[in-house]
Amino acid sequence: MLFCQALPVSAVSKEQEAKIVEGCSGIQDNLKNLQRADAKARVYLGGYYETILSKFITPLNVRVVENNLSNAGLVENQNNFADTRTLFSNDFIAYQQELEDLVGIDCKSEPGDFYEQLVKVRKKRKVVEQDVLKMRGLISGHINLVNKLKGKL
Amino acid sequence: MLEKIKRISAKRKMRKNGSNLVLLGIISVVIAITTTSVSLAIYHNSGDIYLDRSRPGFLPDENENQGDDDGEPEYTFSKTGKITIGDLEEYLENLEVDVRAIDSYEDPFSEDALSDEYLGISVEE
Repeated sequence: MLFCQALPVSAVSKEQEAKIVEGCSGIQDNLKNLQRADAKARVYLGGYYETILSKFITPLNVRVVENNLSNAGLVENQNNFADTRTLFSNDFIAYQQELEDLVGIDCKSEPGDFYEQLVKVRKKRKVVEQDVLKMRGLISGHINLVNKLKGKL
Repeated sequence: MLEKIKRISAKRKMRKNGSNLVLLGIISVVIAITTTSVSLAIYHNSGDIYLDRSRPGFLPDENENQGDDDGEPEYTFSKTGKITIGDLEEYLENLEVDVRAIDSYEDPFSEDALSDEYLGISVEE
């Protein structure tokens, strides 16, 4: 019987450890800039999500109900939109906490731990990216539903 | 004799008042430090710190503040009235402006920013 031990995904080679140690200060600067850029992206996108929900989706649904029009898809979309927006905010916080931990690790003396944390941060960032894509999909879905509603009038 | 007792008594009272004042000051400082620490801990642990761009180093750039207020009233779809095709066309037109703004933000939270290549730690096979 053949036993083979798979290396963990986060395993870092000696060569890579050396590169982390060598470029540590540059990497740290990049990560700090990324923290700022991400905070800007969250505020920017979060602001638009809030506007779309409060000034478009919610008032439209209220008016659709008032007009006794079919609104099943629109209400479901609104609920998904609000839930995903909350998820986006929470996932962003979780990602930033991991990123802050990463920035706090001394990559010169602990390159292995640094890379392990970097892998964790990547996973959290991926979740936030998926939330953003989901929000965009929900907006497109909403536009389609409004076009359908327009066709029924 | 009575005068002397009165003077000693007044001195003691003054000294006691003075030490009470110092004690009050110390208690005030301890309370202030405790409440500030608790507030900061809540601010950090709740994650609000990561949503707050008013902290040092995260303040918006000057050009970010411009363009938000162009003097035009912001569109809000009315919650009342009969829905017409024209209303929905206007609705979609205004919604499109925000959608375009969202799409103009290229690759938010893309993987590339944390890739080995970007961070300069990739190892050639």
